[in-house]
Amino acid sequence: MACFGNIRMNDQNPLPDSNRRGFLKTTSLATLMTLMGGVELRADEQTNSAPAADAGLTKQPPPPNVNFGVIGLNEWGREILHELSLMQVSGTYFAPVVAICDNYPHALRKAGNEDAPKAKQYADYKDLLADPNVQAVVIATPTGTHREIALAAIAAGKHVYCEAPLANTIDDAKAIATAARDAVKIVFQAGLQERSHPQRNFLVPFIRGGALGTNALARAQWHEFTSWRRDSPNDQRAKDLNWRLSQKSSTGLIGEAGVHLVDVASWFLRGLPTAVTGFSSLVFWKDGRDVPDTEQAVYEFPGGVNYMFDATLCSSFDDVYEVYYGTDSTIMVRDSKAWQFKEAGSPLGGWEVYARKDTFYKESGIMLVAGGSHQTALVGDAASTKPYDNTPLYYSLQSFAKNVGQVSQTVKDFIDLYGDTDPKALQDKITALKLDPAATWQDGLEATVMAIKGNEAAVKHQRITFEKEWFEL
Amino acid sequence: MKYFALVFGTLLTASLITASAQTSYSSSPSGSDVKIDGTSSLHDWEMEGSLIGGFFELGAGAQLDPAQTGVTGVQDNKVPAKAHIIIPVRGIHSKADHMPDTMDRLMQEALKSSDFPRIEFTLKELTFKGPHAVGKPFDFDVTGDLSIAGKTNSTTFPVTIESLDAGKLKISGTAPVKMTDYGVTPPAPNFGLGLMKVGKDVKIIFEWTVHKR
Repeated sequence: MACFGNIRMNDQNPLPDSNRRGFLKTTSLATLMTLMGGVELRADEQTNSAPAADAGLTKQPPPPNVNFGVIGLNEWGREILHELSLMQVSGTYFAPVVAICDNYPHALRKAGNEDAPKAKQYADYKDLLADPNVQAVVIATPTGTHREIALAAIAAGKHVYCEAPLANTIDDAKAIATAARDAVKIVFQAGLQERSHPQRNFLVPFIRGGALGTNALARAQWHEFTSWRRDSPNDQRAKDLNWRLSQKSSTGLIGEAGVHLVDVASWFLRGLPTAVTGFSSLVFWKDGRDVPDTEQAVYEFPGGVNYMFDATLCSSFDDVYEVYYGTDSTIMVRDSKAWQFKEAGSPLGGWEVYARKDTFYKESGIMLVAGGSHQTALVGDAASTKPYDNTPLYYSLQSFAKNVGQVSQTVKDFIDLYGDTDPKALQDKITALKLDPAATWQDGLEATVMAIKGNEAAVKHQRITFEKEWFEL
Repeated sequence: MKYFALVFGTLLTASLITASAQTSYSSSPSGSDVKIDGTSSLHDWEMEGSLIGGFFELGAGAQLDPAQTGVTGVQDNKVPAKAHIIIPVRGIHSKADHMPDTMDRLMQEALKSSDFPRIEFTLKELTFKGPHAVGKPFDFDVTGDLSIAGKTNSTTFPVTIESLDAGKLKISGTAPVKMTDYGVTPPAPNFGLGLMKVGKDVKIIFEWTVHKR
């Protein structure tokens, strides 16, 4: 359920050419890290963004107006409400929140008053699902409750955005994935928001196109100095809020935070891991919790590529980032930026000469920028660079809203024209749609399995071999 | 950027059709395709969809037999037939790799899709252009009322009708449309490279598969 970073890709949605021209686009130095150097990798802002106001639209054309209900109103649920409100301000996609739900009255009132004043408030998610005004729901409740709510939402015919990990057991994750797969008329999106981010979608074909040379290894970290504990004057509420701190209800740091990064690694490396070995310890936050505050895992991917992930609540040093190492170059991804560090003697495309380079200690990194069909050129003015201003969550929710709009319209048109008797033909129509990149039920299942088993390996200090059927329905 | 719908009716039936009673066909959920081809000051463009609804009906006495060179039941080359075609505007999407969303919304705005979500065509006259080459589709001209963005004009364009297996027909044609005739102002979006002026003439190219009821 945690989030950060940004990245994503969908094989069904052709990505912009990782044409070398694209990398010449301007980039900003203003916020670059200061210690190594590289070419920043950045996608064309319009690649995955909403229709631009400057495209000549004389008025707002009918937007895919999708009425949202948000279930679970703690920190992350509130963040979701905030991002949805930004979508309306931007005027690109309209996703009005018409209903909110939390079983804790204070949280419900607070979110209603501050974030969604027009939304109808429900204490029971079943009542929200019964509201015919709600078309799509976002499930931002504790991981262990996802199964019950997601299955009920799908059964109610609601489009579902379910936070990741999907569940804290493989059986629960499979139950959700199965229901999502079988529900032809609804959009199910796993909350792996990096998969909707333009930068990540740009990087995938770039990396898969051979930019690294031979993949050697990969590494990522998630570092924060924070207790992860939530306070409440109400003892029961405090217990409910701190579900992450108990192994009975939590998938730990690898599950709740690492799921997004492990998912990206699998996506970039184009495969599922065969095994994971983990380590963990509770070194600082000894406040009664049994969830480690520091975890490490090594995932073994095909081709001998090992992916090392570590997470801690005991140090914020260097925050969150990923590095993919290859024989020709290494690519580092931080937030919504990426840099390429080329090996001496590796093949050159010529474009690197013009690319912006940043220095990171002793290394020089090329800032990678995608170009799409636009003219892109090196511009030295940092202020002119407009990286992805929105959060990964924003892009992810935007993809969800847009995809729900498209799929809903297609379903309605199909039934109007042909009746509701040919689900196979309807599925074909939906599959043919050019949807925004977003994590599918399959992405969600695979990432959840990787996260659950990674956490289990860390807690038990074991090596766990992934069984193929864990990833399959 | 206009589209439209086409319709015409008539036609044929697979190998033989009863001449004594009318034969009705419904749209099949699979096997249909509609494309809108247009031009602009920058480059040609294309949009595509696969949702075509409506019905087709051959009147009593009319028969299309792929083995014959003529059409039974024709008088002065006119085939008794009815047809109504429906194309949902929002079911047509840009094939562009870049900013397809914007292209879709430009089209939807131009066609006033909120008020007029469908392009429709109602067949008025089906004219056999014969003779029919055995084994080939039948050639016709269709005349009917084409409604786009809330405005209706009479139009004529050629179609072919081909018998498929299982009592299905494929009705294919290309309808030229001048957007301004339908009160549609060709979009002139600014994509950052200057103004792109969309040409007012477009072609609607369709393949409509119907099955016997």
